Amino acid sequence: MEAGLGRGDLLQRAVPAEPQKPADGLRKLKREFSSREELARYLQEQFPRPAQRDAHLSPIRGGRSQAEAALAPIQPARYAFTRNYLDGCVTGLSPYIRHGVIALTRVREVALSRVAHPFHASKFVVELAWRDYWRRLYGLWGQGVWQDREPYKTGWAASDYAESLPVEVEQGRTGLACMDAFARQLAETGYLHNHARMWVAAWVVHWLRVKWQAGARWFLKHLLDGDPASNNLSWQWVASTFSHKPYFFNRENLEKYTRGAYCQKCPQRGDCPFEGSYEELHRKLFRSQVEG
Amino acid sequence: MKPLVWVHEDCLRQEAPYWNQHREAPAVFVFDDEQLEQEEWTLKRIAFLYECLLELPVEILRGDTVEQLRLAQQAYGCDCIVTADTPEPRIRRVIEALRQHTRVEVAPEEPFVELDDRVDLRRFARYWKQAQLKLFPQ
Ligand SMILES: Cc1cc2nc3c(=O)[nH]c(=O)nc-3n(C[C@H](O)[C@H](O)[C@H](O)COP(=O)(O)OP(=O)(O)OC[C@H]3O[C@@H](n4cnc5c(N)ncnc54)[C@H](O)[C@@H]3O)c2cc1C
Repeated sequence: MEAGLGRGDLLQRAVPAEPQKPADGLRKLKREFSSREELARYLQEQFPRPAQRDAHLSPIRGGRSQAEAALAPIQPARYAFTRNYLDGCVTGLSPYIRHGVIALTRVREVALSRVAHPFHASKFVVELAWRDYWRRLYGLWGQGVWQDREPYKTGWAASDYAESLPVEVEQGRTGLACMDAFARQLAETGYLHNHARMWVAAWVVHWLRVKWQAGARWFLKHLLDGDPASNNLSWQWVASTFSHKPYFFNRENLEKYTRGAYCQKCPQRGDCPFEGSYEELHRKLFRSQVEG
Repeated sequence: MKPLVWVHEDCLRQEAPYWNQHREAPAVFVFDDEQLEQEEWTLKRIAFLYECLLELPVEILRGDTVEQLRLAQQAYGCDCIVTADTPEPRIRRVIEALRQHTRVEVAPEEPFVELDDRVDLRRFARYWKQAQLKLFPQ
């Protein structure tokens, strides 16, 4: 994608130490680039196989300076009541936090320094704590985050779910304006708002009845914050293999938190699979013994 | 002690305990080709990490992580490797493999919240009940 590529930036800012001995076999990569385009071209040459999966850079840039720029404007008090809206006051810090560019503790301290009373930052700190919680479980379970932690509570058995994702889903060509837009945003930018991740995951698992593992693999390919701890365990939370009940939503909920951005222009308007009350959708999606 | 700092994708900052104590030491990062294929990385993820690395005084290497770290250790004349702890199984496996031939110091991350080892992690609510007492003492 061309958008967001800065021109003429000097990307090299730090100099590593020189080896003392001749370094036979060390496969060093280049550190000097005069522009982001040059970096993109170099990485395409060096990493042809990843470049076959997708060859563009995200408009979201890496680096400490970028992380600080994202940290500076955070508004933890506003976050508490706007975070569920796609245009809400979320921070975009996840790629930097995931790779330890900034410490979770530092983000918390900055958040607390922005509010009159710690209580006003508590919703934000709870979300940071989710990351800590998932990582603790990852420490206990390791590769076990790829297995169903518990049976599905949907009335369906794991074997009722398909192994792989339909190609139209990944390509964003299903005809559902919302889901297609999310799939394309994921591929283009490597970022999705939390609520969009929840809707996409619920659609994949409960409407399309595809195993959450297939969806989790798709997300991990693209997300700049992709992390088997937060990703897989959130998918399991949606699927109900690590929660008491499945997460699902209806069109009204999506329309509200997207401020109607998709429903108005959706080709499937009038025939939306998400239309209906929670009770109706529950009956449609799950086998009857499951509680709503 | 003459350490080589191994910077991996879970901890890309110099102030982290593992690196902060050895700021003068040579530091390397390795893009592991096998990992990139197994985890099906897209170019934008590689580029994001690359841009983070360009702001750090670190040599960027590629290849087999264990082999590249061994070669770097020889080239820089280092007698041990220091790195950051992480729950990531791949990185833990690399650390075990390195320990077959050298000393490896693994520094814990700054804890987000210090909890009893027996903390109940069965659901977030149980964890939060305890974490909250530490994070928001009354
Ligand atoms: C299906 C699914 C997959 C997900 N995959 C990932 C993933 O691979 N990596 C990842 O970091 N997060 C993941 N999340 C959690 C969450 O969606 C993202 O952390 C969040 O959307 C990142 O955007 P932000 O930085 O603007 O978040 P903000 O709302 O501004 O939150 C600040 C920080 O808190 C942490 N955080 C917030 N919410 C959560 C959460 N529910 N779980 C864990 N940490 C949280 C993140 O580090 C985030 O940067 C996933 C959620 C779902 C439902």
